[in-house]
Amino acid sequence: MSRLCRWMGLWLMGILGLGSSTGWAEIRETGVWWLPRNVSNFGHEIDFIFYVILWLTGITAVLVFGVMIYFIVKYRHRAGVGAIHSHGNNTLEIVWTTIPVFIFLALAIYGNEMWAKMRMETPPTDALQVAIVGEQFGWNLRYPGPDGKLAKMDSQKISKENPFGIDPGDPDGKDDFTTYNDMVVPVGKAVRLHLSSKDVIHSFYVPEFRLYQDMVPGRVYDFVWFKTDAKGHFQLACNQLCGQGHYKMFGKLGVVTQEEYDSWAKGKAPAPATASTASAPQNVSVANR
Amino acid sequence: MSTAALSHADTHGHHEHHEATGWKKYLWSVDHKIIGLQYLFSSLLFLFIGGGLALLLRWQLAFPSTQVMPDGNVGNPLSLAFINPQFYNALFTMHATVMIFLVVMPVLVGAFGNYLIPLKIGCGDMAFPLINELSFWVWLASGLIMLAGFFVAGGAAASGWTSYAPLSSVAAYNGTKIGQTLWAAGIFINGLASIMGAFNYITTIVNMRAPGMGFFRMPLAVWALFITAFLLLLAIPVLSAAGAMLILDLNFGTNFFNPAKGGQPLLWQHLFWFFGHPEVYILILPAMGMVSDILSVNSRKPVFGYRAMVYAMVAIGGLGFVVWGHHMFVSGMNLVLSAAFGVSTMVIAVPSAIKTFNWLGTIWGGAIRFNTAMLNARAFVAMFVIGGFSGIFMASTPVNIFVHHTYFIVAHFHYVLFGGSIFAMFAAIYFWYPKMFGRLMNETLGKIHFALTFIFFNLCFFPMHNVGLGGMMRRIADPTVYEHLRALQPINQFITISAIALGFSQIIFLYNFFRSLRHGQPAGQNPWEATTLEWTVGSPPGHGNFAVTPTVYRGAYEYSVPGHPKDFIMQTEPPAPDQPSGLPSRLRPVPAG
Repeated sequence: MSRLCRWMGLWLMGILGLGSSTGWAEIRETGVWWLPRNVSNFGHEIDFIFYVILWLTGITAVLVFGVMIYFIVKYRHRAGVGAIHSHGNNTLEIVWTTIPVFIFLALAIYGNEMWAKMRMETPPTDALQVAIVGEQFGWNLRYPGPDGKLAKMDSQKISKENPFGIDPGDPDGKDDFTTYNDMVVPVGKAVRLHLSSKDVIHSFYVPEFRLYQDMVPGRVYDFVWFKTDAKGHFQLACNQLCGQGHYKMFGKLGVVTQEEYDSWAKGKAPAPATASTASAPQNVSVANR
Repeated sequence: MSTAALSHADTHGHHEHHEATGWKKYLWSVDHKIIGLQYLFSSLLFLFIGGGLALLLRWQLAFPSTQVMPDGNVGNPLSLAFINPQFYNALFTMHATVMIFLVVMPVLVGAFGNYLIPLKIGCGDMAFPLINELSFWVWLASGLIMLAGFFVAGGAAASGWTSYAPLSSVAAYNGTKIGQTLWAAGIFINGLASIMGAFNYITTIVNMRAPGMGFFRMPLAVWALFITAFLLLLAIPVLSAAGAMLILDLNFGTNFFNPAKGGQPLLWQHLFWFFGHPEVYILILPAMGMVSDILSVNSRKPVFGYRAMVYAMVAIGGLGFVVWGHHMFVSGMNLVLSAAFGVSTMVIAVPSAIKTFNWLGTIWGGAIRFNTAMLNARAFVAMFVIGGFSGIFMASTPVNIFVHHTYFIVAHFHYVLFGGSIFAMFAAIYFWYPKMFGRLMNETLGKIHFALTFIFFNLCFFPMHNVGLGGMMRRIADPTVYEHLRALQPINQFITISAIALGFSQIIFLYNFFRSLRHGQPAGQNPWEATTLEWTVGSPPGHGNFAVTPTVYRGAYEYSVPGHPKDFIMQTEPPAPDQPSGLPSRLRPVPAG
């Protein structure tokens, strides 16, 4: 009973927005009904298009519902008042076909311009390269060492023993280091991802980056990149159903200053040539029932 | 009966069948009306099974059995311990599968398609009555096979109704080899039933229309079912092929989709969505057609822009086959291809906009009745508008990068499928119930049911937009393990409470439905004063439908015609001798006999 009371109390606190933050990631205390804050470069453009569509559809919705309610009230059945006999109006049909065509095409063209900018332009050459390989149910990450170069990944070589599918003799990989469920990126620096998976499809999803990308086994996607513009502690979540433990496949994602990043990276030992990651592949923060 | 059957056989010259009696009638009758009712009753049963699954999964989201309390205790006092993560995955997989393949498709296409097509085009039965009956039993078998998954080792399929490979195709990854195989087998068999139904509908509509029933005199419900049948015929075989490949991968080592053995995970997605997107229109087109009819009858006005409505549906049917890639913007398929699918997706929004404007035009200047069928039909239009608008966000490729696979899409497709198809289903049931059973459903109970459903539907599904924008992923068994989602938990609990209220409101519908079978007010032949052919015969119509094959003299929507003593003119009413029919000669009826 006391647990029930506490639960209801927590629930009420949630409603009133009084929740307290004790964990790793930011817990929003205000604005829970709306978008989380955005810290990535492309997020601003995505939010902009989002608001354009929101205003467009919002105004249209008000008009459509307004007209509908007006008609329902005005033309409700009354004794002795008949309906107008009309089979339609071709001019109106042309008008309400043409206008949506132009609006929707404009949205598609503008959206695709943004899409091309985000996904099809070559990422900056000075970007920090990070390899991420999903597995049931966690994230293998590989960072370049002091040489700034990541070993080349070959999706055909990805295996249990070689999660990143690298060539053991690759000199670029000698000083790479790996982490498990722990991602850190320096603020203000472009980050280019090399995404793949060991087993099933996973996805890289960070709402504060406005970023989602499936990670398909057998392929390495390297077109996703982003640049952050504020520090913060977030969670990296898998957002493609990947099996029984899907719901707790998440990792820490810290956006820190360059200095903090450098000292974090310095503490990491280079990865053995092909061995699997050292840290335990378990999400210890959650009891597994 | 024998005279009716004789004249009927003389007119159409197709193989004659006799009316079965008693319990045999409901098991082996090949009468399209009985088959329609078999579909209706079975899918209403499945509706409550699917709804029950939904409530269980909503309960888990509000009070997760996986949750860790701040003090380290596991679970919370309200959680249901038997909902473990794997069972949760099976719950949402089977909820969607049941609702799509065993509820919305069979109600709109199976029940109303079968019941209404012959009655509305003026013939005695479907072109292939025996195949029609076979299609029902095959469909029922498919449903039982899919649900049997809950009772096998490993449990029911748990990789989502989309069953993305290689999760679905490699037993070691999903842990539900038997359940997933049963799911795929069920999908394959379900497809056979759809294909049998589809060519039956097409053949019937093309060949068996009554004299004078030109294509452009057909009610929009028939047009919608006609176009839907083509979509079924072209899309379903692709799903069946994918399902067969999935069975082979799971059980016979073929590796079509397993990249570790040279297969292609994206191949599944292309096959699935090539079916999956036309499927979306299969689920909504019949609803659009029936709602158009109900709006017209209850506004006492012709459908505004009848031909525009037909062309819009044809456009939706055609374009529906070139937009499947919008489900895959962020799957990693070719990026230019994504952009191209983005354009076609925006274009397909146009015919939906046209239909919405025409629905508004239909009620403009009407004499609008407020019966339950009409309330549900108008709710369909309003909810479809919201569902359509949220679709525009996801059609925009950049916004999709953010909202893909969040609760925003869950809100979107429930606004289309529940707000659209299910409200249309209720409208159609309230509207054609008197034709099916000879009695009206209770209007007061109907209105209470409508009001509660409408309110709780919106309270349940609208906040899902918000939690989706807040970053909540779909298909996670416990949102509270995510720190960034913890603040959203009260909204999740609110949604669950609304869902439970929504579910329990349906008991009123069920009570009304079964009570009215015996105690409803007798309906008579044409209680709504509608013009189409099904209202020219008794309620329920006898075996063979029409004692004499009707001759059609006018379009389906002659309401409030100036100078006519009544505000509706039946399609069978000949033009007055002193008045020309006002139609071009090619549309004038062939004289009967």
